[in-house]
Amino acid sequence: MIVLTPLKNFQFPVHAECISPDVFQGKSVKEIASLTVWEGNKKKKLGDLFKIEETSAETPSIIINSDASEVRRVGQGMKNGEIVINGNAGMHLGEKMAGGKITVNGNANGWTGSSMKNGLIEIHGDASDYLASPYRGSTEGMRGGKIVVDGNVGSDSGCYLRGGVIIVKGNAGPFMGFHISKGAIYVEKNAGNRLGASMTGGKIVVSGSVDELMPTFTIDGVKGKVKIDDTLKAEGPFYVFLGDLAENGNGKLFVSQPANPQLSAIYDKYL
Amino acid sequence: MSVINAVTCPICGCLCDDIEVTVVNNEVVKVKNGCAVCEAKYMGYKSEHRIRQPLIRKDGKLVPVSMNEAVHKAAEILANANYPILYGWSSTNCEAQRVGVELAEEVGGVLDNTAVVCHGPSLMGTQEVGIPTSTLGQIRHRADVIIYWGCDPWSAHPRHLERYTIFTEGRFEDSEWKSYLNKVKAAAGKKKLLSAQRAGLSKKAPATVAESVVFNKPPETLQKEGRKLIVIDVRKSMTAEMADYFIQVEPNKDYELMQALRALVKDEELDVDQVAGVPVEYLKEVVETLVNCKFGVIFFGMGLTQSAGKFRNIEVAISLTRDLNMRTKFLIMPMRGHFNVAGANIVFAWQSGYAFGVDFSLGYPRYNPGETTSMDVLLRGESDAALVIASDPGATFPKRAVQSLVKNPLIVIDPHMNATAMLGDVVFPSAFVGIEVEGTAYRMDNVPLPLKKVVEPPEGILSDEELLKKILEEVKSIKAQKTKQKAEGA
Repeated sequence: MIVLTPLKNFQFPVHAECISPDVFQGKSVKEIASLTVWEGNKKKKLGDLFKIEETSAETPSIIINSDASEVRRVGQGMKNGEIVINGNAGMHLGEKMAGGKITVNGNANGWTGSSMKNGLIEIHGDASDYLASPYRGSTEGMRGGKIVVDGNVGSDSGCYLRGGVIIVKGNAGPFMGFHISKGAIYVEKNAGNRLGASMTGGKIVVSGSVDELMPTFTIDGVKGKVKIDDTLKAEGPFYVFLGDLAENGNGKLFVSQPANPQLSAIYDKYL
Repeated sequence: MSVINAVTCPICGCLCDDIEVTVVNNEVVKVKNGCAVCEAKYMGYKSEHRIRQPLIRKDGKLVPVSMNEAVHKAAEILANANYPILYGWSSTNCEAQRVGVELAEEVGGVLDNTAVVCHGPSLMGTQEVGIPTSTLGQIRHRADVIIYWGCDPWSAHPRHLERYTIFTEGRFEDSEWKSYLNKVKAAAGKKKLLSAQRAGLSKKAPATVAESVVFNKPPETLQKEGRKLIVIDVRKSMTAEMADYFIQVEPNKDYELMQALRALVKDEELDVDQVAGVPVEYLKEVVETLVNCKFGVIFFGMGLTQSAGKFRNIEVAISLTRDLNMRTKFLIMPMRGHFNVAGANIVFAWQSGYAFGVDFSLGYPRYNPGETTSMDVLLRGESDAALVIASDPGATFPKRAVQSLVKNPLIVIDPHMNATAMLGDVVFPSAFVGIEVEGTAYRMDNVPLPLKKVVEPPEGILSDEELLKKILEEVKSIKAQKTKQKAEGA
């Protein structure tokens, strides 16, 4: 196990895609210390910015102690192993990861788990915007794996989802699940507006209230329980909506019936 | 006295190129054909706020220094910075912007233009779904349905209506200016009457207001022959007064409205009765008009790019245009603000691949709005120096961003002593592009037009391009010196 402790509070963005169990595997502390990172526009060595220690414990593979909110691209493309961040995490955490586990004991920044393929990300705080959403202009969203957020998530999360599960135990921002085509999103509290806009498939389940539903969803019925994944079921009853009509979509939106009395005036007449 | 013809006006994205300027003794005395804003710039650019010589902040005060000293100081700041911002670029010519890209790459900074606070979302939306657009000439001659969404060209792009859309006599579409003029007169008369009633001057019974105004209902004129103007806005702007149909959308509900229109264009039925405060049956009539037109165009402004949803609004607007193209011919175009912000996007994209928010800190260009855009970098307090050229973030950025900008060394290049220059540590005076310096600028439809030089700049004042070249050269020599010292030390 490698323990990394930042030597100072970073003002400039630090690009450290080398902080990944796959890269550290089989390297000595000295070799790890000489890996390249960028601080602002200056090329540095990992050892210049972090205190690096090795312990005998097997898991997790890497621990980052204290705040790392300016350290970007940690665990990018990782395939196995485990990273624990005891503090806030920087942008692009676990971007395109294909396996392994990342735990954040703090808040996560933008683009966490962006376009991830497999693995598990657990955030024991809030996640920022663009959780699991792809890079600008790309439609290659998250394909598999699981993200669990204990707190709230920001806007545009889970965009272009093509598989996998996102579980948010707090509230979600606007544009949650934009243009998803497969996979599942579960929001245990409230969701922002434009929920599931342009979705073509997949499912979004909201146990709390929704700010406003897109006008382009049509009601399909009421359901008692919804399966999120093999281990989790959401208790309803839920309104079931189909959409998005503007994309000729076939996605399913489950919105809690008791938490959303404002919807009954509009949609109950079609049931 | 000399009269200069076909001058391109350096104000807004319309870049009107039919201005006639009369010059006497190196001073503009008369401007013909221009709008009020154009005239104000040509007649008023020589104000007392002009900076006359380079300034450096010493003991808290800006004091005049020699050009060489200022250039050296600026170059030193940039060469030693770890994460500098180079912001502005929209009110200068493409030649200066080109040098700017080289400078940003040399110092490893964040290169950004004012699109980040105006039409950046349009560029991002375009990157998501592409854009079906054309030049303004085609719209002038062929468009029979014109939609202004979240913009007010009557006030912000005064000659847009007259040169490119409803007031023009196109080859295949007639001008509608007479009917619009009557409408504006009638509206003005009605307003006068109402204000007289309010003031108690008139005892007449309140004038009956047309049903279409009260209930946001499409009037008969929407189904008329010839050019039609549809305005969609949160308030009844001056342009909306002339429109054949005005949709008053609830603030921040444009996305819902647009998505509903898309569904209606695809012949889907909606469960709801109204969207964003507009009844669905009226939307159906509007969609009928859009689908039955021969050539439609959507112009959109800041009302769409900077309201809730931002680039998703643009993405859905372009998707609506794409859906309409399944039924008829439809185009979409952003109403660009600064006269050469489109040029800044073009020059940046041509050299780095990205139109705004380009980060050179890793030695190669990277782009990710939210991460590499100047506003976000400032709000997170990551930068340690800044160069601001041809714009005024000191007056337009949020307070927290300006605080972050001022905390670090700030270099300003501007003709005027604007708010940013007053906060600057090194201030360079520059010549007015399009008045004292010639160059190239891009119109809102991305057509490059030549800017003319009509008068000589004041003595000793250089153009943006010359200043940037001097700074770039100095940065290169400082860096070369550093590497030499390092080599000797080793």
